[in-house]
Amino acid sequence: MLKINNLHASISGKEILKGLSLEVKPGEVHAIMGPNGTGKSTLGNVLTGKDGYDITQGTVTFDGKDLLELEPEERAQAGVFLAFQYPVEIPGVSNANFLKAAVNEIRKSKGLDPMAPNDFLKLMREKMELVEMKKDFISRSVNQGFSGGEKKRNEIFQMAMLDPKLAILDETDSGLDIDALRIVANGVNKLRTKDNAFIVITHYQRLLDYIVPDVVHVMYDGKIVKSGDKNLALELEEKGYDWVKELDNVAM
Amino acid sequence: MINELENILPAVKNESQKASLQNAIAIGIPSMKQEEWKYTYYNKILQQGFQPAASAFDGVAHQQTTIAKEFIEANSVSQNRIVFLNGIFHPELSTLTTHPKINFWNSNNTAESQTKDFLIELNNALSTDGFFMEIGDHVVLNELVEIFYINDNCRQIINLKNQIKVGKNSQIKFAEYSISADGSPAYNNTVTRMEVAENALVEFYKIQDGGALFNITDNMFVAQAANSVCNVTTLSLTGGITRNVLQFDINGERAESHMNGLYLLENEEHVDNRTLVNHNVANCESFELYKGILGGKSTGVFNGKIVVAQAAQKTNAFQSNRNLLLSNDANIYTKPQLEIFADDVKCSHGATSSQIEDSELFYLQARGIGKEMARGLLVFAFGEEVVEKIKHEALKEKMEKRIGELLKIDL
Repeated sequence: MLKINNLHASISGKEILKGLSLEVKPGEVHAIMGPNGTGKSTLGNVLTGKDGYDITQGTVTFDGKDLLELEPEERAQAGVFLAFQYPVEIPGVSNANFLKAAVNEIRKSKGLDPMAPNDFLKLMREKMELVEMKKDFISRSVNQGFSGGEKKRNEIFQMAMLDPKLAILDETDSGLDIDALRIVANGVNKLRTKDNAFIVITHYQRLLDYIVPDVVHVMYDGKIVKSGDKNLALELEEKGYDWVKELDNVAM
Repeated sequence: MINELENILPAVKNESQKASLQNAIAIGIPSMKQEEWKYTYYNKILQQGFQPAASAFDGVAHQQTTIAKEFIEANSVSQNRIVFLNGIFHPELSTLTTHPKINFWNSNNTAESQTKDFLIELNNALSTDGFFMEIGDHVVLNELVEIFYINDNCRQIINLKNQIKVGKNSQIKFAEYSISADGSPAYNNTVTRMEVAENALVEFYKIQDGGALFNITDNMFVAQAANSVCNVTTLSLTGGITRNVLQFDINGERAESHMNGLYLLENEEHVDNRTLVNHNVANCESFELYKGILGGKSTGVFNGKIVVAQAAQKTNAFQSNRNLLLSNDANIYTKPQLEIFADDVKCSHGATSSQIEDSELFYLQARGIGKEMARGLLVFAFGEEVVEKIKHEALKEKMEKRIGELLKIDL
């Protein structure tokens, strides 16, 4: 589904990703762990097409298409989703209007007619239940005045609405209390199928107790320095990130 | 222009009108050298060939009834209507005239005291029609009163002079539309005076949507008595040169005044909003929010003056003018003017100009929304803060739909 090969990316002349390679197949959940400032969020931003990054080397294909050639909206329409680390507040745009626009723009890109208003409302109610959103949420402005937990739940809710092939969760667990963490993880688990895939970016092993990954990657200094199964996350938790830095030295 | 006014002077018989015309001639047309006309070139309206006339336009007005009728049917959200076609009252299309609770005259001959304002004098001198409306005490009208100024191929300056009196404890909502049946050049010079009695609640929505060749100079004066609440919301959606002067005189304690405006500009459109609030007595509040969306080579002007008299202690007055600039060639000139003579007051003002936030744009795109649509949604959201001040659901929805159409987004 997703093939990243030797990806180099920089921002304002500073290289952040330094030869990252990763392959994700349908049905898989990959966790990417690593200390702050190693380029985890940059990877999410580059994959979804945020402005300001220069791709200096490497390729990214998604279902055989060159992902880097596409506009951000085209990537989303193709089925790539990023759950933002810092969801943006958009005053004046209601959650309902926002998602209606998103759902219908994605449908339009596939040559489908807009969703009937009743079907849309039904879908919204169903997915709201999944992340335990309150009813007034529909008419509230996107993320405005939301608590940290609500914002993260809203990201998972949007993911549920848009039903992407590949979802990248960028530190969705940070700032969540245990209840919110459970809701978020539960939402993700219910959306897992044999056809979609997840990349879960996180600092902590905690989230991976709830969302069990197939592969765990350790990222340091702009590339993946070690990959393994779910036990790698436990090992990392135990030994700390200094261990990773040593791994990087060995790798070099 | 002044020559033309001198030429029609003999034809004006009414003494008050004659005095106004002489006064207008003496004042002369507004010039950019005057502080209050610094950014608006009035002559540009006249250069389009609009003629002053002492009599009503005797062209095609009443023959255009069919077009106007269709237009009203497509746009009206109420059954209470007053319709002026090219500045002439249209009895067949107007339905409000026999309302049991409203006294209505389709002319307004109120004698005016002399001013130093060319446009007000011109209006009084040459007004051929207009309305006088009196709403008694304790009248609560749930249905919107719609006032249509429909212009159609008329190169005459249309001077409408209106007077509204709202009685004690009464509640009423107005929507005033300045529109064109055919998009041809038009110029309306309107003066509306409104008296709001004690405990009355008045909403007045001005919708200016006549197309790129439609020019407006509008003067509205509101006088409020104690415990009354009045809200004037002006939506300038399409137009040529538009200048709105809105004045509130707060003359009774615990009155509340609201002024809201949204100007949506593109190409060479020009909107000049000037507001003046006179806090004459204590314990009153005024709230003012004007927002501009400026694209192309458009120009927005905002001048908000608040005067708090020495007697007006415990005044709360808030003013905000916020602008979203969508192009490098758009201009906004904004100026707050506070004159405070009382010492125990709360007054604040703020003006901003900003652009669309990249982070917001990316967030929408990352959800599959195309860039143009995403921009449209964000711009719409910026304006929505003003549109939602409209306390009439059908009208609000209609305006949202119209703004969506102008921003090319499908809501």
